[in-house]
Amino acid sequence: MSEELVMPRLSDTMEEGTIGRWLVHEGDAFAAGDVLAEIETDKATMEFQAYDAGTVLRILVGDGETVALGAPIAIVGAEGETADESATAGNGATAPPPPQEEEAAAEAEPEPEPEPEPKAAPARKPSKSSSKAKSAAGNGSRATAALRVSPIARRMADQAGIDLAAMAGRGSGPEGRVVKADVERLISSGELTRPATAAGAPAAQSAPAEGEVRELTPMLKAVATRMTQSKQTVPHFYVESEIDMTRAMQLRAELNSGLADSGDKISVNDLIVRASALALMRHPQAHRSFVDGRHVYHAHANIGIAVALDDGLIVPVVNEADTKPVREISRETRDLAGRARAGKLKQREIEGATFSVSNLGMFDVANFEAIINPPESAIIAVGATVDRPVVVDGEIAVRKIMRVTLSCDHRACSGADGAKLLQTIKQLLQSPSLLLV
Amino acid sequence: MADLTYREALRRALDDELARDPDVFLMGEEIGRFEGSYKVTAGLWQKYGPERVRETPISEEGFVGAGIGAAMMGLRPVVEIMTINFILVAMDQVINHAAKIRYMFGGAVGVPMVIRTPGGAGAQLTAQHSQSLEAWFAGCPGMKVVAPASVADAYGMMKTAIRDDDPVLFVENLVMYNVTGTMPDDPDFTVPLGRAAVVREGRDLTLVAHSYTVQRALRVADTMSRDGIEIEVVDLRSLRPLDAETVAESVRKTNRALIAEEGWSTYGVGAELAARIHRLCFDDLDAPVERVGGAEVPMPYSKPLELAALPLESKIEAAARGLLAESGIT
Repeated sequence: MSEELVMPRLSDTMEEGTIGRWLVHEGDAFAAGDVLAEIETDKATMEFQAYDAGTVLRILVGDGETVALGAPIAIVGAEGETADESATAGNGATAPPPPQEEEAAAEAEPEPEPEPEPKAAPARKPSKSSSKAKSAAGNGSRATAALRVSPIARRMADQAGIDLAAMAGRGSGPEGRVVKADVERLISSGELTRPATAAGAPAAQSAPAEGEVRELTPMLKAVATRMTQSKQTVPHFYVESEIDMTRAMQLRAELNSGLADSGDKISVNDLIVRASALALMRHPQAHRSFVDGRHVYHAHANIGIAVALDDGLIVPVVNEADTKPVREISRETRDLAGRARAGKLKQREIEGATFSVSNLGMFDVANFEAIINPPESAIIAVGATVDRPVVVDGEIAVRKIMRVTLSCDHRACSGADGAKLLQTIKQLLQSPSLLLV
Repeated sequence: MADLTYREALRRALDDELARDPDVFLMGEEIGRFEGSYKVTAGLWQKYGPERVRETPISEEGFVGAGIGAAMMGLRPVVEIMTINFILVAMDQVINHAAKIRYMFGGAVGVPMVIRTPGGAGAQLTAQHSQSLEAWFAGCPGMKVVAPASVADAYGMMKTAIRDDDPVLFVENLVMYNVTGTMPDDPDFTVPLGRAAVVREGRDLTLVAHSYTVQRALRVADTMSRDGIEIEVVDLRSLRPLDAETVAESVRKTNRALIAEEGWSTYGVGAELAARIHRLCFDDLDAPVERVGGAEVPMPYSKPLELAALPLESKIEAAARGLLAESGIT
């Protein structure tokens, strides 16, 4: 009995997936746990593993092609078997019908197919929707599970501006009903707005031809959507400061000379992450999220660090940075940034930030303003550290000055809260030994 | 604050009201010399005499009717019906007369009467003597129906019921009689009718009950609290008027509602409340409203079968966990 493999949901916000490349060919046998393909989501490239052994009968979606969640991407079965034709109609990398249509198609479905449900596919759908998907394929549309949402979950999602279409059939309630806990998870993971962070958009890798039109990658699409949503719905205010980094730079030099043999190397950014985390713990009013008309407080400072990619960005998270020494923050950040650039981050590594740091200092930026990444309520934009003449104790002296701008959600905190947070960050960085205790 | 039984709280309320108001009198089967089948009127016949603690023949229709007549003439009778099962022979008096007279007389005459009667099961009294029929009466306009679940409420609500100018069916509970609890020392303490009470706060689920089932609900909440699940228990106290707003306020917080009662679920208190909750809190619900009631059979005599038919803690807990599972909480 052949069965479909469908595009799995590999992140909470994913609505479609792109086959990066197949690692198996038609006719290949595979064992449970084998990686069948690499799938590019809006966040990362992830491995698609087989739950059970089988043979690839037909590949429906080729390398580089994009299909909606739940769309069939391959037919698998026993060796020598032929693909079930009824399951292959309407294949290919076509755009999926919008969710409303899918739902309508599901509702219009007269009766379930008597066919037994697939028994061994990754990302298996519930039997009902599975049979619906198959028969719906016959008339050119493809149905996924109907979107069922409890009233409170629907209300919360509406208020948070979350589109639950991608959650169809995937909630924790009966028959995949999306319930309050699911929406809370989506909101608190920051999932839906994740890659939305600072501007930073480095040039594309190959020179585009005149007038060339390119599709956005899933990640760039997510950035575009979420940045728009944040800038349009979150009332930003900005507080700006200049931080004297002279002593911090001395400390860093001292640390790095001492750590030279260990392979560890502390960056300015690591000190900023540490200072931010400590400051956030002292200012709970500047460290809370505005969610569903309420304030959600955070027990620890999970710091998102914007990492520029060749085209776009991603924000891996150093969790509980308030509890970690600078050296550990540094190691984690280096590992996360390296894997971010390699497209190897795991979903959980880009979830759950409570505050973000976006540092464009390496591009000699004097100063900039970053867009908040909801439900985080603040982000700090860091410019370059430069030698500048400043007045110290009535004398002009040359100091290493770094300009920073804190963007805050005015629904979560007031101007004074933001100012106090920034003041503490400044004090910590100007008395940097405090970062070591 | 003093510890006493539900039975004693009721007895004291009757005693205090007999002493306070000479128009108050008691009537019922063997409530005098024998002090009542469940001893709620203990000592009152001796204290107030046969005029004010009147023994009646086994004739529910007759003495409920007599109570209605006395009430219409200005007295405040408290009529005991030995168990709620025996009220059935007096249905015409209760529904067609007590509940209707104020309306039929254009508001000129009322029936300030209390009918006290215990319901509930659990003592192998089998099909005819184990019923919880209060929902039938709570469906009838013109009646007030209350069912206190604590010692303080038994005392405070009995006094309020006696002072009320309309007929009140005061539903006691056979198992509750020996439950002890604290009562405020204030002799003027009363509890208003028509107000529910949040008797335990929680955030995950609202569990609504009345009468003895509140005790079960509290035990379920205790048990589940050990697993980190916090149940809010709402004691309805009055079934008519029904304080749906207090329930709704709780459900708006917890997003889930379970109603437990010893009577049958079908057309029961839970049925009524479920309808109200869906209307008042539709957008707050994370799961459908759930009910637990007694098995829909005549109560069996056999002890294992009786236990199987009752909405014991295990059933309430299972329903609560099922409801929470629907919300992804385990």
